[in-house]
Amino acid sequence: MVDVLRDGHWRKLPWRRLVVGDIVKVHKDSFFPADLLFLASTNQDGVCYVETSNLDGETNLKIRKALERTWDYVDEERAKEFQGEIQCEQPNNSLYTFTGNLIIGKQTLPVTPNQLLLRGCSLRNTEFIVGVAVFTGHETKVMMNAMNVPSKRSTLERRLDMLILILFSILFIMCFIDSICSGIFINRKYWYLGLTSDVEDQFNPGNRFLVACLTFLTFVTLFSPIIPISLYVSIEMIKVFQVTQFINKDVKMYHKETNTPALARTSNLNEELGQVEYIFSDKTGTLTRNLMEFFKCSIGGVIYGKGVTEIEKAAARRNGTGIEEMESPAESHEKYFNFDDDRLMRGAWRNEPNPELCKEFFRCLAVCHTVLPEGDELPEKIVYQAASPDEAALVTAAKMFGFFFFRRTPTSIRVRESHVEKIGRMQDVEYEILNVLEFNSTRKRQSVICRYPNGRLVLYCKGADSVIYERLMERHNPFKDTNRDHLEYFGAAGLRTLCLAYRDLDINAYEMWNEKFVQAKSALRDREKKLDEVAELIEKDLILIGSTAIEDKLQEGVPVCIETLAKGGIKIWVLTGDKLETAINIAYACSLMNNGMKQFIINSDTKEIRDVEDRGDALETAQVIERYVAERLNESLRQAVESEQTQTGLELALVIDGRCLMYALDPELRGTLLKLSVMCKAVVCCRVSPLQKAQVTSMIKDGAKKITLSIGDGANDVSMIQAAHIGVGISGLEGMQAVMASDFAIAQFRFLTDLLLVHGRLSYLRISKVVAYFFYKNLMFTLTQFWFNLYTGFSGQRFYDDWFQSLYNVVFTALPVIIVGIFDKDVSITNSRKYPQLYKAGIENIFFRWRILIIWAISAVYQSVILFFFPIKAIEEGKNSSGRMLGLWDAGTMAFTCVVVTVNLRLFLACNFITRWHLISIFGSILAWFIFAFFYSGFRNPLDKQGNIYQVIFVIMGTWYFWYAIVLVPVASLALDFLHEGMRRWFAPYDYHIIQEEEKIKGVERDELLLVESPRQAPEQSLELTGLHGEMSKHTGYSFDSPCFDSFFASQEGVSMSQRSYDIARRASMRVSRRQSSDLGSDSPPPGHNSLI
Amino acid sequence: MVGVIFIPIGILSLLASNRVVEIVHRYDDVCIPAKYSTDKVRFIQSADLSKNCTQTITIPRHMKQPVYVYYELDNYYQNHRRYVKSRSDTQLQNGGVSNTQNCKPEQNLLGNASLPIIPCGLIAWSLFNDTYDFRDGTTKISVNKTGISWKSDREHKFGNVKPENFPNNLNESGVWIGGASLDVNKSLNEDEDLMVWMRTAALPNFRKLYGRIETDLQANTVLNVIIHNQYNTYSFDGKKRLVLSTTSWLGGKNDFLGIAYLAVGSLSIFLALVFLGAHLKNRRSLGDINYLSWNKKQQQNGNTRS
Repeated sequence: MVDVLRDGHWRKLPWRRLVVGDIVKVHKDSFFPADLLFLASTNQDGVCYVETSNLDGETNLKIRKALERTWDYVDEERAKEFQGEIQCEQPNNSLYTFTGNLIIGKQTLPVTPNQLLLRGCSLRNTEFIVGVAVFTGHETKVMMNAMNVPSKRSTLERRLDMLILILFSILFIMCFIDSICSGIFINRKYWYLGLTSDVEDQFNPGNRFLVACLTFLTFVTLFSPIIPISLYVSIEMIKVFQVTQFINKDVKMYHKETNTPALARTSNLNEELGQVEYIFSDKTGTLTRNLMEFFKCSIGGVIYGKGVTEIEKAAARRNGTGIEEMESPAESHEKYFNFDDDRLMRGAWRNEPNPELCKEFFRCLAVCHTVLPEGDELPEKIVYQAASPDEAALVTAAKMFGFFFFRRTPTSIRVRESHVEKIGRMQDVEYEILNVLEFNSTRKRQSVICRYPNGRLVLYCKGADSVIYERLMERHNPFKDTNRDHLEYFGAAGLRTLCLAYRDLDINAYEMWNEKFVQAKSALRDREKKLDEVAELIEKDLILIGSTAIEDKLQEGVPVCIETLAKGGIKIWVLTGDKLETAINIAYACSLMNNGMKQFIINSDTKEIRDVEDRGDALETAQVIERYVAERLNESLRQAVESEQTQTGLELALVIDGRCLMYALDPELRGTLLKLSVMCKAVVCCRVSPLQKAQVTSMIKDGAKKITLSIGDGANDVSMIQAAHIGVGISGLEGMQAVMASDFAIAQFRFLTDLLLVHGRLSYLRISKVVAYFFYKNLMFTLTQFWFNLYTGFSGQRFYDDWFQSLYNVVFTALPVIIVGIFDKDVSITNSRKYPQLYKAGIENIFFRWRILIIWAISAVYQSVILFFFPIKAIEEGKNSSGRMLGLWDAGTMAFTCVVVTVNLRLFLACNFITRWHLISIFGSILAWFIFAFFYSGFRNPLDKQGNIYQVIFVIMGTWYFWYAIVLVPVASLALDFLHEGMRRWFAPYDYHIIQEEEKIKGVERDELLLVESPRQAPEQSLELTGLHGEMSKHTGYSFDSPCFDSFFASQEGVSMSQRSYDIARRASMRVSRRQSSDLGSDSPPPGHNSLI
Repeated sequence: MVGVIFIPIGILSLLASNRVVEIVHRYDDVCIPAKYSTDKVRFIQSADLSKNCTQTITIPRHMKQPVYVYYELDNYYQNHRRYVKSRSDTQLQNGGVSNTQNCKPEQNLLGNASLPIIPCGLIAWSLFNDTYDFRDGTTKISVNKTGISWKSDREHKFGNVKPENFPNNLNESGVWIGGASLDVNKSLNEDEDLMVWMRTAALPNFRKLYGRIETDLQANTVLNVIIHNQYNTYSFDGKKRLVLSTTSWLGGKNDFLGIAYLAVGSLSIFLALVFLGAHLKNRRSLGDINYLSWNKKQQQNGNTRS
């Protein structure tokens, strides 16, 4: 319901009654019912705040501003006087553009997206607004944007279609053969068929062609059970059950912290989860928490910090050494800081061998940065506004070490230093900041020149090891080599490192330099370049202090998960909008890459390319890059092939950035890229746009014909989530865009292990079994009829009664296979996890290959022969002890009984695991048949003109033959399958067979099974979940764009964004401008994030 | 285990089947005068020629009563769709003319709706009408024709319905005679031959019970059988046989089930032995994870490297 101005009053109307031109009042925290032209708000200045997370996943509030002319149409009285005409563009799907004019009186006012309130957004922090509906219903931008979500079907299902097609062709072949023969067979010599006069067309020997045609139709109906119509229904039931009972209720995939269970948004793709070969993962928010933590440091050649990274844990686990679980102490857990070492904390550093250096280290952290403090100047309350989380981490670290940076003025930084003079003593020190030499991607370092209160003049510098080491003083750096070792150690542990250095400056030398600096700063041309050159002059002869190691905090269990998945034969690619270095770093941290790998790095950020770029010729740049990419690709491929051939066992890794990728995805190079990337164990794509993410995904999907899975959390991952076979969204955080586009939503990356290795694998196993079984049972059933019709003059006579035939699929054989589809399990859940290699079976599709189906088909043919001929043979010459003969329907009923028994018992051979449900359903089905048979032949069906089956079951059950057959026939027909299964198990066992045996010997932990599988436990679980799930998060303030969204918009345009340097003052003003411009979407160049590596 | 159970069953069945004495005598080819051997159909269709034909059968072994008499037809498609459905079970039970449309072309006599045929349909119309008289020398051996149909047929499927307008009973021109005529005074559930015939056979080669001889037949007895050979199987080259058979506890002579049981049983024992042998030869201890494919691969790699 929404307030609409009708007849001069606000009326509550349902949304659907809204028409274009209505004046609408929207209250706080409610959604806009249509695309509205913003007229007035209760806020001053005609602004309102809008939350757009439904549209783009961004959680920061946007500001919309009404045209000044319309500000006062707030209340009812004024609003009804509003007269105007709106001219605007046709409805379209662009969320960030809108052009139009508002004509009030004679005045024409241009209208921009700034005045447009989109449906799907909600109003925040504003009491109410008044607006005019511009687009309603399906014409609203969000609805125009609602892409038809590609309906995804699993490959298995598509293969199933093929199977159905094959069954259809079998059907037609059978019908064709039989109908031709029926045309030939029909003859007046069979006088007892009464073919001489008054013959319907189907049997008229006078027109054999017509006979064949009509009989064909008869056969189609007769053999139609070969098409397993109920298969689709059964599969759907199984899948829904799998989804609702297993996946959604798996405690192992329930994230307690965010109260998020796994959620399967579609039930179509369960078995696809068991065949994934490629995983494309987003980085931020998926692999990492986008949280930097100060983790370790090395000062003066000594490593401090006791923490153990995930990757080290994983490595330790691999080696079997098993580090004692050193859980990072939770109590001292400050955001950005995960460090504990008594040697440094609480002033203890004074007793270290090198206290002076420690002091410099902390000062460097506290002084050399571009962070803005906000809030109260107390260590607990202060909030650091940093451009990158790294910087915030460093400054926080300084704070924790007792160097609390709390105030910044344009010329100074104030630091509250503890323990400097003596333990426990605090003093505020003001450092005068003389110059800031900013960070940029070429310099890869940042320096601050500051003057101590005592006049000491120091340059603090932090930056990448490569650039710092170049500029160190030749002498006086005793720790150079140890520090390098430490850097390598940090790097291998997946930490982001920075080197810290300082230099005492001579006042005269500084003055001279400063002149040059000021000159450069005021230069009109090439200012940046000149500044860099000047900076070079002073950033030399540095003295190394040490290095910091920051952990880009991974999501819980990511390295273990990745390693497990890799063992299962899954290849994981990281697609990120982040920088090359960061991406590589994360690849290391996730144990995707290690130092033993041969890396191919294709990066557009090389000197040649930059030089060409500087010349500013876009075309030339493109050509150069293209040539470069082609060269690198071919070269890499050559090397890759070489190393493959020489079998050095060297693992390969490819790192490519978005810009190069753009060219590499060109049709000419695509093949090369594909070949190369398929050979690589790890592939990292950095600086890629959402579109490229999707392109890479579809390259593998279509090019390599492999099953792909994309996992991501943000709006920028939507395209790849939709492009992949399976899209997985990370849920539980704000921003639902990715989840809405996904097929499965899980709360944590690590849950992929369970989702794929347990649920996916089992679903695949189950579904392939079910499909194969259906194929078999229908084929077999129909073939018996086919054999029979060879003996009926191809007349299309039914072997079984109509009712038997129609209930065969629906009742007598339906339930057990569904039970198997739901409960079958080859090995226990623990072992599924313990042996991720089992997953390879899915990738290689060994349970649904044509070979498997052919084996089933052979079994079906064999069984159909047995099931037709044995009962028929048994009674053909047979006389009951009183000499009487059995007829057609007796034979049919007997054969049908055997069929039902056999088909149901066949399941015992097919399933790995028998519960009481199996027993109940299998024997229940057989019993159902008998009950039905008794009932059906016990009563004369008034609707059925032919009482064919009337009394039949009693007749045949009174003969020995029946009992003989019912024992013999199933055994004889299952013998072949039994033989095959046995051979398989003994001589060429599948991996799961062996593990089953192992389980049999060692026993399985039952508890663990119950936890996941017991349906009894589930309801409580779900109750608990639903109870808390409804809570909505309330938004009261702004949140700032995290850097990954900046790069999202930049990279969306396909532009590789250059790192923009900016000074502190500008940053402060920028924030204001950004707040205003962010609602314009992508057209304001957002500041790059200068995370330092 | 299957073998252990099945083989004895098979042996027992075979023994039972072997005790059964069965005589099969084909007569359609011999019961035809030599001059009609090229035109058998004309012979069988002519009304004037005598169809009687005497055959001698020697009893090879002692046949304990009851000796069942069957006729066996070949290439006779009682299971043809047109044939199978050409009956009205409603009519057979209750009489009347409802539900007779499947009986075409034998629904109404001469297509005249006022003359509904009871029992209608091709099956009844084509009722087998050869008859057999058995003599031991000159003494007539009586054949008991009661109880040859299933009880359920007599009591449930066929009712107290008298034949009407049955074409085979008429001798008018234009009425095409199929098989045997019916006694208009005998209701359908008393006509056991009809009930036997109407339990249509599953295969085109079938036997139907004709009657029982309720005296023992000694070995080497020579039976004279006077066959009234009038049923037309010549037009479609169907064979006719007369079968005399005793039964065992299991039924008639039927080696098939016994053989099948024996085969399946011995096959399973054989396979068990094969498995055992193969297992002993190529031992893989249960649950040995070294046999997991990836472990195997590693071992191979290790081997090639070392």
